[in-house]
Amino acid sequence: MLYLLITFIILLLVVTGQRGLSLLLGLGINGFAIVALLILIADGFNVLITTAIISVVILVVAIYMNVENSVTANISFKTSLVITALILLITIPILYWSSTQGMGVEDQEELEGFSLAAGVSFPQLAIATIIVNSLGVISETCVAITSGLNEIVMNKPTLDQKAVFADGFSVGNKILATQTNTLLFNFFATTFPLFFLMNSLHYNWQDIVNDKLFASEVITFVVCTIGVILTVPITAWQVSRVDRKKLAIADKRE
Amino acid sequence: MKILKKRWFQIVAAVVLVLIATIATYFDASLYQKPIVTIDQVAQQSKTKGTDEYKNTDYQVVQKVYGHFSNTSKKGQSVTITNSYAQSQLLDERYKAHQQVFVSKTSANHYIIQSTKRDAVLVFAVGLVIILLFCMKFTRGRLLSSVLLNLVVFFGFVQALIKLRTGDLVTLTVITAILIAAIALLVILGPTKDFVMAFASAFVATTVALLFSIWLLQLSGNSGIHFEMVDFGLQPYFGVFISQVIFSVLGVILDETMDISSSLIEMKQEVADVSKSTLFKSGMAIGRELVGPLINILLFIVIAENLNVVMLYLMNGNSIGYTLDMTLSLGVTQLLISAIGIVLTVPVTSFIVSQMVREKVA
Repeated sequence: MLYLLITFIILLLVVTGQRGLSLLLGLGINGFAIVALLILIADGFNVLITTAIISVVILVVAIYMNVENSVTANISFKTSLVITALILLITIPILYWSSTQGMGVEDQEELEGFSLAAGVSFPQLAIATIIVNSLGVISETCVAITSGLNEIVMNKPTLDQKAVFADGFSVGNKILATQTNTLLFNFFATTFPLFFLMNSLHYNWQDIVNDKLFASEVITFVVCTIGVILTVPITAWQVSRVDRKKLAIADKRE
Repeated sequence: MKILKKRWFQIVAAVVLVLIATIATYFDASLYQKPIVTIDQVAQQSKTKGTDEYKNTDYQVVQKVYGHFSNTSKKGQSVTITNSYAQSQLLDERYKAHQQVFVSKTSANHYIIQSTKRDAVLVFAVGLVIILLFCMKFTRGRLLSSVLLNLVVFFGFVQALIKLRTGDLVTLTVITAILIAAIALLVILGPTKDFVMAFASAFVATTVALLFSIWLLQLSGNSGIHFEMVDFGLQPYFGVFISQVIFSVLGVILDETMDISSSLIEMKQEVADVSKSTLFKSGMAIGRELVGPLINILLFIVIAENLNVVMLYLMNGNSIGYTLDMTLSLGVTQLLISAIGIVLTVPVTSFIVSQMVREKVA
């Protein structure tokens, strides 16, 4: 693993030059933030409040350390906060209804020897899991759509709000397609061992669609996709409100 | 006006259809052979505080579940079931009114709850995406057909996997990955030369990154990586792990190659006499901006997958170091291989595209 780490760092520095250092720093801070999140939850802090605070920290790092244009960064940050809040609002009722927290019967072998009544609220942890899962996709989508739209607005300063929205959807189409692919392929990565196991346990399709782990993966995929979809109109709305002059100044400074 | 009316009609139709589908799935108990009980009411019977050997406090709750059968010959009859759960709900559940559960008979008139019926909530969740897509001006057809095609290919992969057992897992994964990459790029780029360039770049970058990483792992004798911790301890550990890496990184690398190649092609169209090295340099500049966010995406996805098990280790008196070593070493290795792939994609795509675009003119 050490060889892999060294190789990654060398390659990153060769390809991205000085940017690589700030990228590494950003990744390090985010990794550290996640470990902090885990320790705080294990120490008995409220799962949802802790996740909310750590999410804000992660979004600040993920957006402000990767984006140089200050107007783009500000809009992306605001949008991703709104999206994360919306995801939270959608996730809570869906998870309440689906009861997909914790682990499944398929995991039981792994759990031997563990004390299972560990005092952490796994229904709340399930919500935190979906939020953490979505953070990377959401911040990247926000930045991509905002910078794409800002460029269009810069070149055609006379666009009215309606036209900005229309352009937002044309930029958003491609990004939605690629992000859906990323999420879908990750769904494949986590579910194929599950499907294989289900087959050896002789599940039929009715068992599969009602299975806890399967349902939980589907819900993660669906909720993250909803986040990506919602990013488009909210970003378009933010960009159409922003002062064009500020944008021009920020662009020049860059 | 006419267009506006049509849009409203589409949205309303989508909402109505999703609602009907959700309600129909909620009341589809007669399709199942297993007895299903719809819960009418629950009452908490007792709540006892318990402390485990690691001084974690949890509550064991006993609840009485009142409900009625929704299928089988007992349909309509009421039933009372006792359910016991830990408040943390790792494996057991607190049942709520209006939920539906599968039950099994243990003795005459005595039932236990086996699991929860979750089909309706899945239909609702997927329906929500469809409604949102209809509310906005996305090109839905392409997106949905690409998702469906990929699901079909994945279904074929799982079927083949089950038939052939896991012996040929990695070969199967590579074939599947090539297929879904081709589908994803074809849907977005169409059957053009852009497609060939993006596909070649993604293929070369992923292959080089994987082979190089596997070589590095073997060089260090796989030390410090707990391959036996792979999902469900499925054999062969290493094959399952590599297959998961391939699927997981594929989407991100496709995203990256498409971004770089489409910008370079656009550049070539605008400035016809741009040199190979200028194109290559611009490709590198564009790629530099992409690397950070893309690694971030995978970082959070990989960590989120393991939150439950990390928390369980931590609550069972293990140190942070041991916990992270046992639960996240696989995830971090996956992330590092993916990150190497993401970084390598930048020069590989820039090189391939700058060379191929040039050839077209000559």
